[in-house]
Amino acid sequence: MNFIKITKRDDLPRNKAILIRGVAILLSLICAGLVMLIFGLEPIKIYTEIINGSLGSEMRIKQTIIKAIPLVITSLGILVAFKMKFWNIGAEGQIIMGAMAAAYVALNYGETPKPVLLLLMVIASMLAGGIWAFIPAFFKAKMGTNETIFTLMMNYIAIKFVTYLQYGPWKDPGAQGFPKIAQFGDNAVLPAVFGIHAGWIIALILVVLMYIFINHTKKGYEITVVGESLETARYAGMNIKSIIITAMLISGGLCGLTGMIQASAIERTLTSGISAGYGFTAIITAWLARLNAIAVLVVCILFAMLIQGGAYLQIAMNVPESVASLVQGSVLFFVLGSDFFIQYKVSLQGLFRKKNAEEGGAA
Amino acid sequence: MKKVLSVLLILALVFGLAACGGGETAEEPAGDEALKVGFIYIGTKNDGGFTQAHHEGTMAMEEYFGGKVTTIIKEGVDDTDKQAAKEAALGMIDQGASVIVACSFGFMDALDELANDPAYADIKFLHFSGYKMNDTNFGNYFGATEEPRYLSGIVAGMQTETNKLGYVAAFPYTEVQIGINAFTLGAQSVNPDVEVKVVYINSWYDPAQEKAAAEALLAQGCDVITQHCDTTGPQVAAAEKGVYAIGYNMDNSAVVPESFLTAPIWHHEEFLIATIQAIMDGTWTPESYYGTMADGYVDLAPMTDLVPAETKAAVEAVKAQIIAGEKPIFVGPIYDNAGNLVVPEGTTLDRGGIWETNYLVKGVTAVQ
Amino acid sequence: MQDKVAIEMKDISKAFGAVKANENINLSVLNGEIHALLGENGAGKSTLMNMLSGIYNPDGGTISIYGREVKFNSPKDSIRMGIGMIHQHFKLVDVLTAKENIVIGQKGNFFTRGKELSRKVREISDRYGLDINPDKKVYEMSVGEKQTLEIIKVLYRGAKILILDEPTAVLTPQEIKRLFQILRNMKEEGCAVVIITHKLNEVMEISDRVTVLRKGNSIGTVETSKVEVSNLIEMMVGKKVDLAIKKETFANPKPLLDVDNLSVLDKEKKPALDQVSFTLNSGEILGVAGVAGSGQKELCETIAGLIHADKGRIFFEGGNIVGKTPRDIIRLGIRMGFIPEDRLGMGLVGSMDIVHNLILKDYQSQPGIFLKRGPCVEKANKIVSRLDISTPDIYTPVKRLSGGNIQKVLLGREIDAAPKVLITAYAVRGLDIGASYKIYDLLNEQKARGVGVLFIGEDIDVLMDLCDRIVVLCGGKLTGIVDPGQVTKEEIGLLMAGGTLEKEVGQA
Repeated sequence: MNFIKITKRDDLPRNKAILIRGVAILLSLICAGLVMLIFGLEPIKIYTEIINGSLGSEMRIKQTIIKAIPLVITSLGILVAFKMKFWNIGAEGQIIMGAMAAAYVALNYGETPKPVLLLLMVIASMLAGGIWAFIPAFFKAKMGTNETIFTLMMNYIAIKFVTYLQYGPWKDPGAQGFPKIAQFGDNAVLPAVFGIHAGWIIALILVVLMYIFINHTKKGYEITVVGESLETARYAGMNIKSIIITAMLISGGLCGLTGMIQASAIERTLTSGISAGYGFTAIITAWLARLNAIAVLVVCILFAMLIQGGAYLQIAMNVPESVASLVQGSVLFFVLGSDFFIQYKVSLQGLFRKKNAEEGGAA
Repeated sequence: MKKVLSVLLILALVFGLAACGGGETAEEPAGDEALKVGFIYIGTKNDGGFTQAHHEGTMAMEEYFGGKVTTIIKEGVDDTDKQAAKEAALGMIDQGASVIVACSFGFMDALDELANDPAYADIKFLHFSGYKMNDTNFGNYFGATEEPRYLSGIVAGMQTETNKLGYVAAFPYTEVQIGINAFTLGAQSVNPDVEVKVVYINSWYDPAQEKAAAEALLAQGCDVITQHCDTTGPQVAAAEKGVYAIGYNMDNSAVVPESFLTAPIWHHEEFLIATIQAIMDGTWTPESYYGTMADGYVDLAPMTDLVPAETKAAVEAVKAQIIAGEKPIFVGPIYDNAGNLVVPEGTTLDRGGIWETNYLVKGVTAVQ
Repeated sequence: MQDKVAIEMKDISKAFGAVKANENINLSVLNGEIHALLGENGAGKSTLMNMLSGIYNPDGGTISIYGREVKFNSPKDSIRMGIGMIHQHFKLVDVLTAKENIVIGQKGNFFTRGKELSRKVREISDRYGLDINPDKKVYEMSVGEKQTLEIIKVLYRGAKILILDEPTAVLTPQEIKRLFQILRNMKEEGCAVVIITHKLNEVMEISDRVTVLRKGNSIGTVETSKVEVSNLIEMMVGKKVDLAIKKETFANPKPLLDVDNLSVLDKEKKPALDQVSFTLNSGEILGVAGVAGSGQKELCETIAGLIHADKGRIFFEGGNIVGKTPRDIIRLGIRMGFIPEDRLGMGLVGSMDIVHNLILKDYQSQPGIFLKRGPCVEKANKIVSRLDISTPDIYTPVKRLSGGNIQKVLLGREIDAAPKVLITAYAVRGLDIGASYKIYDLLNEQKARGVGVLFIGEDIDVLMDLCDRIVVLCGGKLTGIVDPGQVTKEEIGLLMAGGTLEKEVGQA
């Protein structure tokens, strides 16, 4: 039965595609609003409060930015891997391992002067995150293993490893036996710049560097070609294995850096929950940004607004935080779903045409 | 690239429109003079245990002050995620809260960081169950749970037939170990043969795991189940198996009437009312409050009719002694479960000594 | 019945965005007729037939089947009206048998099993002279067999009108003969057959009438017996075209590439190339003939360093290059150009523009870590103007270009590197006549400059016209090296099928 006719289209004018996306976002807000109405909430007020909660005061703006920082850096890491069509779902684990390495440095060499200590932590975290990503990359390059499953599983290993450290060798002796890792000394804490920890500067610099890397360097070019067609990369004499591994070292390194920033500036210690889901959210933001570094920045800020606005809702309006998740899910569903309408033409006339065809056949 | 940007612009526009259409922002009706107190909870306020006990204290306190104090709460804050705790506190400060009460051990470092941040010097921070504080705006509070725990141990020791008591515990650290030891000593005081089996679930709040751990203990032959975790899960497991349960935090006699014997409980309002009053009066200084049964801060829930009269009488007698200050809980000689003498003959542990506990007493076996 | 009109398409128009793919096209096909639809790539043949098979809806005009006006909403409607289309790319499930492929996706076929099905398949096979083993798995079939299976599939579904899209592109001369016999049998049975093609000699051989399309318009329908090839070309291209391929011989050839006893294993460790030896000289075009999958791909890719040789050696100007990767070959400065069969899948990156596709071969020799676009922008402009590539600009993704222009970009890049050896795999596949001749001219130009060109071809006529010598492969074995001047097309066909010639000709 073909009531709806679906045909592929390749060359939708750009403004039409934008229109479709805009309509998708509107629909998503309306749809989420309807659900809110069902639960007796006022959608307009909720949306207002999300904006207000994320941008309404200096403190809220700061909180929004603090949430955007790990999202941006992790998204950039994921972007490199995805550009190569290497589906790195392991950002969570890479963040955790990066945080772990940073914590190792911070806890054991805490007396080192601050700039040196922070630099060491950055290096250690990037190495650890890179290694955590290198392992699946190595097996993919050498044995063709499936990176999606592999990177995903590496997440759980990382979480359990940190839990082990927390309960075992790294347990804070001063915590009355409570299984937690000690707080970092002051030297291991990222300084604040304009009231927000210096991670925002790192994030901005990385956005620019990533843009240049992907678009203006040979390595970035190679990564793009490998992502587009392995055969072409081979044909052009690229060393694919080395490209995959380099890209994954960068990808994991950036995720690891996120771990260091979160451990140093936010938690001031290591916990197994340090990644806080950023590794997964960043997949969505990287994808929505169409793997473009500059767009990543914008998308991540908008996403951070949704997260921060959602957290605000509960405190300010006594509304469950899940309302914000509802909006988030709804936006994602519609925007990603709108891609279908950009690639395919759907017409409802199928119903009438079908009748005609049958008449034609029967007459 | 352009596409993405335009999408985002539209997104921003839509949000912007919503902002314009929405008009004024949400404002609390209460005036400026009311003291706003923010509570950060680890669980939900109706969890039937730990958080509910806190919330009942919160409500009682708010009612007591009759409009002079308003409260805001945030439930379900992960206490292993410092950022979540910090955000919750900052959100409350942003909403005008000048007192932050954080009700789980894991929030300690977040509070410590904020309390020592000059930007929040005017805010008072109160932390439940932690050990960190400062001289200006950060205090902590806890209760002598060893007292009601000991009493609940007596109940269990007299009720058990298998001489095996099950104990679902959160983390293997001092606070929890004190409770286990007190319970065990209480049980042994009336029944020297009793064994206590402990399962740690490494979480405060995990209804499913709490219940599963209790089931594991039941399978080992325990016929009284008690707990040091947040929900009614272990009590429900006991009820399903038809054995007795001793709860924690709340009087759950109505939830599992067929099993519930009693529970060590909290009266958080005892601390909160006095402390908030002092803050309003400007007389508050940070302290490490430790409320006892005598203070009315901790207590044993009324024993249900499942407890025989002679048991009740025995418990009440000891309770009276404790309240009168005549019955210390930890009196040497006490041996740990590896056979080492940890409290020598003739020694009685005071609060400081109790909080140095890092062992389980003889008669306890624990699995992690 | 014989004269009754099967298909009548009147004033059919179809536009994709601003592009008018079909404009007021008229086509009428009779029962018992083989009708050729002739036109260059992009003339609108496939669009027209896709409307007939229900994939697209026409914007204007009417379609009548057996005199009744119809509107197709999906391919199912079209199948119901007895129209069957055989696409260029077969739509078969590899791991299933012929029989299973026939019933798959059929309504109510769930219980159609064994005997009943075999009987029906046999009946169809007998009627049209189709020969197939119903229990053979598709992956074991040759291309010809697959095509036969596709035909049986549509006949099983009751097709009386058969549309074949470029059916001969993948077949050997012998297989083409067999196909044409099948089509003639169908015609005898009163079916209407439409064959889409741009190969003129086939049109002349098989069709009763020809409709020529050009740039979305129908130029006219003629009876095949009453026209010459040159008339058809003129109708197709719109002007007279000189179809002769020039062939000059150059003196003093010196060996450039010496393939010595080369053996290559495929993924299943079966020999894809088996002890192949030949020499490619400067200033010659060496053709490689063979049925698709005879080892041509492996031959090219082994020389280019993409596949590992199992045994044997390849000498490039005296040095053995076996074991060298493409990277080594570039680094060593070995000037070898390679036009792979899969242009967008291997030679180019479809989503990238011309400039970035030129960088592909260039960037490794650039110093530093940054990508320098400047030189390639110049080069892109040069190639676009020299090879007459029609593109909006040099920043258009190459996948948006037409097949011929894509090939020109690829060839332009490879020629630009001034190669000594140029390997081309199916260089004109999918290209229209004009573009094909442009490519032949470019190859001849290279030959004149002393380049040794290895030309993997599929059209034997072209191979014979263009190449100085032809290497024939069959199942990975070299079955002969012939001088096209001294053998017939049939003799090459025999070598392609694994036979041997009595006379050894043109052996270098």
